[in-house]
Amino acid sequence: MREDLGVDPARSKSAFPGARGCASAAILLYLAAVVVPPLAGPAPASELASRLLQPLRPLVGTLFLGHGYRFFAPNPGPGHTIRWTMTMPDGSRKSGRIPDEALDRPRLLYHRRFMVSEKISALVPPADAPREVRDRARQDWQPLVKGVAAHLLQREGGLQVTLETVEHYLPEPAEVLGSGTFADAVTPLGSYAWTEASR
Amino acid sequence: MTHVRPAAALGSAAFDPGLARNAAEPARRGWLADWATAWNGFWFTPADPLPLAVIRIATGLILTWSCVVWLLDPDAFFGDRGWLRPDQVWRQNDQPWQWSVYFAASSATLIRVVAGVALVAAILLTIGLATPLAALVSFVGLVSAANRAPLNVFGLDDTLGMLLIPLIVGPAGARLSVDAALAGPGWGRAGGPSVRANVALRLLQVHLCVVYLFSGAGKLFGASWWEGTALWGAIANDRYRTLDLRGLAGHPLVVNALTLATLWWEVGYAALVWPRLTRRLWLAMAVLVHLGIGLAMGMMEFGLAMITANLAFVPAATFARLLRPVTSPLAALATSPGIRPDSP
Repeated sequence: MREDLGVDPARSKSAFPGARGCASAAILLYLAAVVVPPLAGPAPASELASRLLQPLRPLVGTLFLGHGYRFFAPNPGPGHTIRWTMTMPDGSRKSGRIPDEALDRPRLLYHRRFMVSEKISALVPPADAPREVRDRARQDWQPLVKGVAAHLLQREGGLQVTLETVEHYLPEPAEVLGSGTFADAVTPLGSYAWTEASR
Repeated sequence: MTHVRPAAALGSAAFDPGLARNAAEPARRGWLADWATAWNGFWFTPADPLPLAVIRIATGLILTWSCVVWLLDPDAFFGDRGWLRPDQVWRQNDQPWQWSVYFAASSATLIRVVAGVALVAAILLTIGLATPLAALVSFVGLVSAANRAPLNVFGLDDTLGMLLIPLIVGPAGARLSVDAALAGPGWGRAGGPSVRANVALRLLQVHLCVVYLFSGAGKLFGASWWEGTALWGAIANDRYRTLDLRGLAGHPLVVNALTLATLWWEVGYAALVWPRLTRRLWLAMAVLVHLGIGLAMGMMEFGLAMITANLAFVPAATFARLLRPVTSPLAALATSPGIRPDSP
């Protein structure tokens, strides 16, 4: 198999056996930094993996290896947009959404902005969740939303902005064949004036 | 049988404790020696750096494009009034370990300088000029961007990081590069098989297996993957959609087959990409899956980056054969003896 991959087994002897030992140690350390982060998160994860990660955090952080690699897992979910409505200094109103497929081009730019909506929406419970759950989650998402609001107000030159997250309904095949209309789930994220957003 | 391997001796002595005790010591040494031999053969056998050069060029092109896109809106991504305020970055990543040069870039000008340097480094990496430095600076640029703008990153950035570390470790500029063209006749040795090239390729191969293993294992939690409907979830998601495949709504068995093929390809990758009999099939599936994601879900850069990582499993001889129409005329025209035709 090694020959297939373009290597020459006849030349595997090292002139520096000590160097080979050091290289082996470095490789093992690197492999630990590759394997342990996805073991340790996202949830569910074991206490053992979390403890193993602690001494590796400097290396994992330095080498940008702290990833979970759960692409489209456990299930592909619905997409999210953040919709905003802004009051301008002349009293007019302006609206938009993040991302906006008509404006956010090229596609990679769209995707980088799309991640803002996806990552914030992941922290926001549905509007009908228990109040305690919503209050606890607010501590996580509101500081991020304030930053987004400040960015939008500065970019558009507005006075106040109201944001809401939209979870786009994921229709079943039968619903698509029936060509019905689908209602998206909307969750308010609050209104932010310039002074509030810039705190 | 005149020679009995220690492991076999231990197995046959399993019913006799006394004999097992006597045989145990040499058996253990043999097993450990086998491990050491396998380890050394796997990591420290010299390899042709040609695959690494191809991976360098593909990675450099994708990274260059990513840098251009960061530069389309640098203040929004990296500025004080961007999508994520600097004092809130800790909410999205593991501070203080996740560093970024942008944390020290206090003005719009400095932000553009840092992003510009990252772009230049990515271009130099692509063409293979000052390759070791270009690879290192490209990595610093990638990580700085990802750690300063964690709200804007996704699998593409994880994959580019996975690709860049082997390019720093190995002789990525030894072939198909300006470095090789500019070097004197002595470069021939540097472009030959080396342990560093093998370590770099092995790091990428193993890392890629880890990525697919966890990605596949994560999917096993999801009912839609077992039910064979997960791909419908991707098809019906209009936020990702760049190719309308909703016509598959009337063909549930096709959706089932595509979903299950994707799941079991990913779950089996770490084991079945190594044997010669299954490697081509698994690599072909990788191309199909990632091109499919790229075309249908608008994530072509991510798809191409993952395909680039899969190139680590393509033999050097295959690249030499495929690139011969390009490299042979160049070698004939070159005045520098540093450019050599590829040998199969």
